[in-house]
Amino acid sequence: MSTPVVIASCPPALLRRYTGQVDPVPELRAAVLEAAAWITARAASVEILGGESSLRVAEEILAGRPRGPAGVWVAANGSARRSEKAPGHLDERSFAFDEEVERAIAAGDVAALTSLDLARGDDLLASGLRGLADVAARGGVTNADLRYAADPYGVRYWVATWEIA
Amino acid sequence: MTLRLGRHRFPDDRKLMMAIVNRTPDSFYDKGATWAEDKAFDRVAQVVEEGAEIVDIGGIKAAPGVEIDATEERRRVVAFVARVRAAYPDLVISVDTWRAEVGRAVCEEGADLLNDAWGGADPGLAEVAAEFDVAMVVTHTGGVAPRTRPHRIEYDDVVADAISSTTRQAERAVSLGVARESLVIDPAHDFGKNTFHSLEVTRRLGEMTATGWPVLVSLSNKDFVGESLDLGVGERLNGTLAATAVCALAGARIYRVHQVTETRQVVDMVDTIAGLRLPRRAIRGLA
Repeated sequence: MSTPVVIASCPPALLRRYTGQVDPVPELRAAVLEAAAWITARAASVEILGGESSLRVAEEILAGRPRGPAGVWVAANGSARRSEKAPGHLDERSFAFDEEVERAIAAGDVAALTSLDLARGDDLLASGLRGLADVAARGGVTNADLRYAADPYGVRYWVATWEIA
Repeated sequence: MTLRLGRHRFPDDRKLMMAIVNRTPDSFYDKGATWAEDKAFDRVAQVVEEGAEIVDIGGIKAAPGVEIDATEERRRVVAFVARVRAAYPDLVISVDTWRAEVGRAVCEEGADLLNDAWGGADPGLAEVAAEFDVAMVVTHTGGVAPRTRPHRIEYDDVVADAISSTTRQAERAVSLGVARESLVIDPAHDFGKNTFHSLEVTRRLGEMTATGWPVLVSLSNKDFVGESLDLGVGERLNGTLAATAVCALAGARIYRVHQVTETRQVVDMVDTIAGLRLPRRAIRGLA
């Protein structure tokens, strides 16, 4: 019996209390909500992993769903240093780093995900990569599906689904 | 309450205009308009003419970018401070720097006020202020490093955090020998804060003024105005003035601005409405 896994970037912009008149992240929000519907249809409970800020967001998205081991939601994002205007300004190392993580997520590549340079990720203000590695290490990843990948504000966002054995 | 800024005393509660004069090629609003020293000097003349009591001279833009070390920062501001000091003995000269080394150099040339925009990043700056008996602005930045943008910062209560941080820095400065009457607190809109935080600080500014410390607000053309109204950097004057009126009603003492004339009018009108200022000249219906 496989466990459904969502990997989704959860910036504070998704929170109700930070809603403006115009949604600055409509595509991310749509992909995140679709992933939330996907996992709640398959898992009676969800374990949430991620950094402090992302956890708060994920909890709001999954409100009403009990915490438990039937499904896993990993709140993660890539570098926040992808442009001059990015929150973390520009660090040219971002692109190769994010490409490597993204390829691994899309392929469900456990070996790659458990050998990421986490210190570099920290430098680049990536988030949730330890949770990602932790989940990948739990069992074979199947049906890896990268549904959204973009950086509208200089932060690399992903939404992907997996199943793990 | 008397506010003493260097050798200049402001005995009443009159609100003061601090005009921004950047010695940078790339600040967000003026984009190098006063990079050439003569242009900067002309701007000082202009803002003095417009009634600014204070000029705030800064050598490094707030946004991230090419590193400007202390030597380059000194090159941009120190000689200019000396030139302004010689030409305008009655003008309060403030310097926007986080570095004690730069603070020392500009105080040696006659600066009156150190505007510590980055929340005490260099703890030695307050010691310099004490040594030279100059005034100081202390700011709330949520602990971010100089020239970094806020990234997912959260507060249980941003106003409580701003009050706690700035009053703690002010008391520390007093304990180091800065005169109590020479300290100003600033919530530092948008520094370590998202738009919602800056709006809340504005809405609840009365809690900061109620501390008794004089409050400085730096609203001018900032992103919280831009995001509220969806307007670019050059289109934010009206929104800035609206925020200014709210801060004036709440009792802010010093206004750090690009546009002196407009801000002075808004603040004077608010004070007149509040009964703190007499209309200049009234005869309509009274003849």
